[in-house]
Amino acid sequence: MVVVKTMSDNNSGTEAETDTDRDINTFSRSREKRIFTLSAFAITRTLNRLRTPGSRRITLTLIGVMIAIALMTTVSGVALGLATQSAVQGDNVDYWIVPETGNLNTIAVSTEQTRLGDTHRFTSRLTRNDRIQYATPVLSQVVPVQTQATTNRKYILLVGVIPPNGSNPTIASLPTTALTSGDPYFNSNRSTDAWTGELIASQAAVTVLNASAGETITTPGTDQTFTIIDIADSELQTGVGAAPVALVHLSELQAITGAADGDTASQILVSSNDQRVRTTIEGIYPQTDVVTRTGFAGQTVSTSSLPVAMGIAAFVVSLIIGTLFTATTMGLEISHDRQFIAILSAVGYTERSIGFVIALQVVTVCLIGGVSGSLVGIGGIYLINTFLARTLSLPAVGIIDLRLIPYGIMTAIMIGVLSLPYPVWLARRTTIMEALRL
Amino acid sequence: MTADSSTEQTHAEPGSTESIVTCESVSREYSRGQGGFRQDEIPTVTALDNISLEITPGEFVGIAGPSGSGKSTLLHLLGALDTPTSGQVLISGTNTEGLSTRQRARLRAKQVGIVFQRFYLLQSLSAQANVAVPLIDHGIKKRDRHNHAKEILTQLGLEDRLDHKPGTLSGGEQQRVAIARSLITDPDVIIADEPTGELDTETGARVLDIFETATTDRAVILASHDQAALDRADRVITLRDGRRQDDE
Repeated sequence: MVVVKTMSDNNSGTEAETDTDRDINTFSRSREKRIFTLSAFAITRTLNRLRTPGSRRITLTLIGVMIAIALMTTVSGVALGLATQSAVQGDNVDYWIVPETGNLNTIAVSTEQTRLGDTHRFTSRLTRNDRIQYATPVLSQVVPVQTQATTNRKYILLVGVIPPNGSNPTIASLPTTALTSGDPYFNSNRSTDAWTGELIASQAAVTVLNASAGETITTPGTDQTFTIIDIADSELQTGVGAAPVALVHLSELQAITGAADGDTASQILVSSNDQRVRTTIEGIYPQTDVVTRTGFAGQTVSTSSLPVAMGIAAFVVSLIIGTLFTATTMGLEISHDRQFIAILSAVGYTERSIGFVIALQVVTVCLIGGVSGSLVGIGGIYLINTFLARTLSLPAVGIIDLRLIPYGIMTAIMIGVLSLPYPVWLARRTTIMEALRL
Repeated sequence: MTADSSTEQTHAEPGSTESIVTCESVSREYSRGQGGFRQDEIPTVTALDNISLEITPGEFVGIAGPSGSGKSTLLHLLGALDTPTSGQVLISGTNTEGLSTRQRARLRAKQVGIVFQRFYLLQSLSAQANVAVPLIDHGIKKRDRHNHAKEILTQLGLEDRLDHKPGTLSGGEQQRVAIARSLITDPDVIIADEPTGELDTETGARVLDIFETATTDRAVILASHDQAALDRADRVITLRDGRRQDDE
């Protein structure tokens, strides 16, 4: 006897009816059970089709997503490298606290931008942190100066700092070593007796001023004078040659530029050998940005906006291209696989169930593409770093961060979800009669 | 009967005189081309014209007629794949008119088994998995689905072909797998469109044996050009130009 109502026949005996028997006989449609079985079916079928020849469109989709995610991961790794200055990562990491709209590109030439106030107090607060090696406000101002021997005014960039005790940082490419540590004029409550007048000039500055070491420099409109105590080569460029720049004590520059009121400075340099200190810095000064770099304005300029822009651009481009590519290729796959859809429909699958199976197939392909793309992208970062190291002897530009893997996978899933409407729409348009030529 | 109540349908009792499939003055027209600006200018073709019939459980009904006579259209309507332009089709008491595509799918899932001329098995799945496909959308566990499929395939003489892919099966074996797939949800009616069309005489006869046996519990409606198949039917409905010619 051919199977007919077999389960019922079995159940007519003394054996207790199992849940499964009841499911088959009553067509129980538990939502959770259906989702589970449909998911397993869709995923298994997708994996089977990837293993079998003749599923070029699915393979093509996977490769497309993999390439998009790999490129995004690689670019993101490089962007991450730029953001954290991987090229100069060493024991020392410098952070610059700048006003919220501040831009390291402009501070060397702009004098009217937003400044930070009460800088001595904030700086001393920062230096109390054990993880911070030193901190100094930096005030930069183009100032007219002249030597006592000449009457012609020349403009040089004066940079006011608080030379740290025990450290000899280079600011504006000029060593602070020769300056008296601390800020004696400020510490003496701006007593003229404490005025040091110390000035470290760049080679370009002494050339412009036609001055030499030990010479006195005056600033028109003030009674204060500076003495060139050291001359050093500075790499600071203006675009037409070396910039005439000189280092002085912060409070003394504030005194001659009117910045003493409010104790203002352009920015604050914080040096630390602990990258975790960044979060501390970010919370200490309101309405400021913390940027990372190694020098001073004009030299190896790098702001936080570039890596962020790179990362966002890579994400958006990957998402758009990946979505368009996946929608197109999976759309072709659905058109080619109409018979499968029609068979499911004929045996009683609802449009929603078929749509779910199709959606899961697309997302599964994208997920596999995302995993493989992330790994390829990580490999790409490694290759770039290796290539630059071997050919140009450059340090690593990209960072291999394992968080890039979940980032890539999540982006791939987003690609899958965003590309769903087209293949699902195509599946809904499939009619049994047309697809099966009934 | 409302559409929603279709989910609560019980199977018709074998030998019951209550009809399991009923057509009342059913017509089906298809539009041909886009027509002009006015809706009434769209030309139509009548595939079925005023067909009425009743089929009871245990009946093996053949549908005969030349190509273009409306056999396939009638099967579509009886299998809830389509709805009539006018008239009513009732399957296990459920009127298919006004059912959404989702409700018709559910009706097919529970009350209708469909067998195609070209088998239409999923090539990437084994015979056992193919038979179990309809149960996936019911949320039944894989092990239980496969056990049930194995049970049916064994009774159809395919116990040694469970793990074979369709490509490695003969035409007769593939059709038996397709029949097993149509039986797994224990439907009230099986619709078969030229099920022996791709098979040799001997294999076709074996397939017809299965259909004959299946009518013990349900109705089998088989459209065919094959006289040998029609000879097995309890009665034959002959169509010509969309109209019913006789009911032997």
